[in-house]
Amino acid sequence: MTSTDKTSPLELYRTMLVIRMVEERLAKSHQRGLIPGACHTYVGQEAIATGVCAHLDTEDAVFSTHRGHGHALAKGMDPGELVAELYARETGCSRGRGGSMHLFSPEIGMMGTSGIVAPCILQAAGAGYSSLVTKSRRVGVAFFGDGATNNGAFFEGLNMATIWKLPVLFVCENNQFATEVPFSTVAGNDSVAGRGAACGIRSVELDGNDVLAVEAAARQAVARARNGEGPTLLECKTYRTRPHAEGMGDFTYRTREEVEQWKTKCPLARLKHHLLTHNLASAAEISAVEEAVAAQTEAAHLFAEKSAYPAPETATLHVYSEPRPGPHREAPPSEPGTRELTFMKATWEALSEEMARDPKIFVLGEGIGERGGNFATTTGLFALHGPERVRDTPICERGFVGLAGGAAMTGTRPVVDFMFADFVLDAVGEIINQIAKMQYMSSGRIKMPVVLRGCIGIGHSAATHHSGSYYSMYAHFPGLRVVVPSTPRDAKGLLKTALTGNDPVLFLEHRELMTLKGPVPEEEYYIDFGKAAVVRAGTDVTVVALALMVQKTLQACEPLATEGISVELIDPRTVSPLDVETILQSVAKTGRLLIVDEDFAHCGVSSEIAAQLADRGFDDLDAPIRRLNGKPSPTPYSPTLEAAVVPNPESIAHAIRALCAE
Amino acid sequence: MEEGKFLSWLKNDGDFVQEGEPLFALESDKAAQEVESIDRGILRIPITTPRPGDIVKVGQVLGYLLAEGETAPATESPAPALAATPPPQKAAATSAPTPAPIALPTPAKASATEMPLRASPRARRAAAQHGIELATVPPGGSTGRIRERDVLSALPEVEPGIAKDGFTKLPVTPLRRTIAARLMHSRQTTVPVTLTTRCEADTLLGFRKQLKAEAETAHLAIVPSLNDLLVKLTAAALKSHRMLAATWSDDALLLPETTHLGIAVDTPTGLVVPVIRNADTSTLTEIALQSQKLIAAARAGQLAGSDMQGACFTLSNLGSFGIEAFTPVINPPESAILGIGTVVREAVPLEGGSFAARQRLTLSLTFDHRVNDGAAAARFLQTLTHLIEHPLLALV
Repeated sequence: MTSTDKTSPLELYRTMLVIRMVEERLAKSHQRGLIPGACHTYVGQEAIATGVCAHLDTEDAVFSTHRGHGHALAKGMDPGELVAELYARETGCSRGRGGSMHLFSPEIGMMGTSGIVAPCILQAAGAGYSSLVTKSRRVGVAFFGDGATNNGAFFEGLNMATIWKLPVLFVCENNQFATEVPFSTVAGNDSVAGRGAACGIRSVELDGNDVLAVEAAARQAVARARNGEGPTLLECKTYRTRPHAEGMGDFTYRTREEVEQWKTKCPLARLKHHLLTHNLASAAEISAVEEAVAAQTEAAHLFAEKSAYPAPETATLHVYSEPRPGPHREAPPSEPGTRELTFMKATWEALSEEMARDPKIFVLGEGIGERGGNFATTTGLFALHGPERVRDTPICERGFVGLAGGAAMTGTRPVVDFMFADFVLDAVGEIINQIAKMQYMSSGRIKMPVVLRGCIGIGHSAATHHSGSYYSMYAHFPGLRVVVPSTPRDAKGLLKTALTGNDPVLFLEHRELMTLKGPVPEEEYYIDFGKAAVVRAGTDVTVVALALMVQKTLQACEPLATEGISVELIDPRTVSPLDVETILQSVAKTGRLLIVDEDFAHCGVSSEIAAQLADRGFDDLDAPIRRLNGKPSPTPYSPTLEAAVVPNPESIAHAIRALCAE
Repeated sequence: MEEGKFLSWLKNDGDFVQEGEPLFALESDKAAQEVESIDRGILRIPITTPRPGDIVKVGQVLGYLLAEGETAPATESPAPALAATPPPQKAAATSAPTPAPIALPTPAKASATEMPLRASPRARRAAAQHGIELATVPPGGSTGRIRERDVLSALPEVEPGIAKDGFTKLPVTPLRRTIAARLMHSRQTTVPVTLTTRCEADTLLGFRKQLKAEAETAHLAIVPSLNDLLVKLTAAALKSHRMLAATWSDDALLLPETTHLGIAVDTPTGLVVPVIRNADTSTLTEIALQSQKLIAAARAGQLAGSDMQGACFTLSNLGSFGIEAFTPVINPPESAILGIGTVVREAVPLEGGSFAARQRLTLSLTFDHRVNDGAAAARFLQTLTHLIEHPLLALV
């Protein structure tokens, strides 16, 4: 089917009819119990998806909302795949992992619907950014409701798309209710187009029930996007004539009369009337379309109903991308005379080597452009690769992380440079709900190579908004890799792996290690995740430490050695995946385990290591597992207070001595 | 040390004991030791005191040192076998009415309290693997919890009686270990050669028979054994063959000024070699008395380390087992050992073609060829043979 075909009035009618009939079929199936979860129908709003998608090619990327059946069908999804997903079958578009709110078909540019309101706006901007980086003609499209326009993502996404002239369509389907809250009651300015204009974006308000009007506006917007003229916001006024979700009451927040009134503005009826009155199609032609679509819908239902449920043993497939084949990669051993680099310089080398190799890598962050980054992470790279690949961002962490997610989904490799990991917390929803879950939701068909890097750790009187650790929190979530290096050598090898793998990576660099010098081999090397380093071999006690605590523990080891205490120091290097095996092997030898962790003890990685060892290494333990952690407090400013909340070589040595005496 | 074998009191009940005086004898591994009193007072030995040979644990009450006018606890309620004793140092200083119990010196951290047993998983695993009762393991750490290292140090050197791969493991006793080490040392550091010869023993045996018959009327303190006679004759032979008593050292041959002779004694736990002092200058009776006492002590496991030191030559007699000749192993730092075979009656051809029945025994001399050549050793044997056949010569 060519785009010319899709935009013909009869084809527009056919597409709207497919959406309508499939939705009505799903409503019935929901009543029959064929849909185990939610079902949000698109009835009444068919003109918008149809009119916009008529101008989209397969490669154009659509990001949608919880009310996304219509977008998937208009983008070209086979109705059988959609119905099967709602019926929770293996043949569903998301292989039974998503349901109504998580529809994925990246093969046709259907990049996903979402149960969270508004991230699609940022992801569409990310798709547009991918086009900028790869010089592709692909357009990113976000469909969202009026409810999303009250969300920060709307303003952040529109702003970024505008300043960088991204090839994006923002399509607001203003159906006048955010779930069941009237938009007029939650909007100071209830003109979405007006809000868009305030952001500096070209904004158009139109009748969303007039497919021809939508089609015309979309034609212009897509052309502008492809011509490099930047994004457009379309505010399409419409109304859903079925409840928010099937099975829910509908008349506590609106009247039956109002719904009936809007049914008279049905976009399908309006187009059919238009076709007949303007002799654009005969009654027989229209009937033929209607019969064909009815048959197609019934076939979709039968296909779905006959399809198998996914096998339970596949439940955790696709949380991460397939591991790289081949043996574990490690840095070459540091010979005497190996050059020494600072931690900062080592990670800079990793980034510059990989950026030179892969033109799809780009960096986002505050002050990382011409300035070269707060911690010299991008020094000189702006001049080398230009603003598209080394991009200064507005201070909108949630916005540019969401954008990075959309970019990764569409084939580029964003590196988000946060300066301080504390700042990322504004973006945690994007990281955990979108980036971490995307590979799984899409049943492994979308890869998420996003590197999120930033400083962690206490020091320099940085106080509590520039000193958190956070790795335990991220490691809790399936789908993320969490890397916490302690040496320049490890930092370079691990960052290169992060930049070439397909999983999202939190790359957390301790502020107090930035100027630490250490040997970094000149030859190229990678260090794969999930293999701990035995930093120092010993026989009496195993100490597991991360990041700065590795260096602090090393300082404690020397005096202990003179006292006859031999410490085996293990640096897991990655918190997710966590190499429990190496720790188990060490404790089998020593019988004693101390975990030294700057992060809080409770619910942290130290708890996890302790639990794993108690579980799998119980009989090897000759003393209780002990932990030495940062104090459970926000980080204080005054040096005397600051020093009191983190372990130091003296307190570490004391803890080791006490454990060995037990 | 966790336990030891009680040998004997060195003071009597009622004796006043000063600090530093030997109080009782105890055997730890091989040698006995005298345990000095670390307190003073009147020794009261209760009826519950261990008998010689009993195994006693560290902390076990053996007896009491009482102040003037003080009485020991009633014997009807003997002190608990495992007493939570105050450190001996404290008892030494006390003049409190409670008597100071005498106990085995307690290792610093040993504890026999009634606390519930606490042990690490690793210690429990080690205890299970080695079949040792955790309750018998003294905890060593700062927390009172038994650790793996505590279990391992409480192990006997080999766990007894555990069959594995078709073998039953038996413990290697400290004595066995000592024997093995000494013999291996001998094998590795000497160049042993063994010579055997036969001698007629009719005269010597007749001599002993005579002593036995006359013992009562002559008021002999003891009837010397054949072995005692051979000790005396060997000492006499060594007088003219001093090199057989020599010791090899790196830069010299050391000739002893005295002639102390070792005698190999079979005991229930293994071979020991107590030493008869001054065999050359002692009378036969003195030799016999010494050997009687040493053999009794050896069989009771009560030899002191000093009882087994200082010999320059050893005799080993396997005659009672019917063994005729063998190759004894030198007991370093000595350089020769004499093996004595059983007495056999043999038909000996006489001049003129007839035969006579004679009692004969075989001497097997193993010597270190570094110290003596074969001829020197043979000459010594000739002398000794001559002395055995003409024992009166030893008197002159």
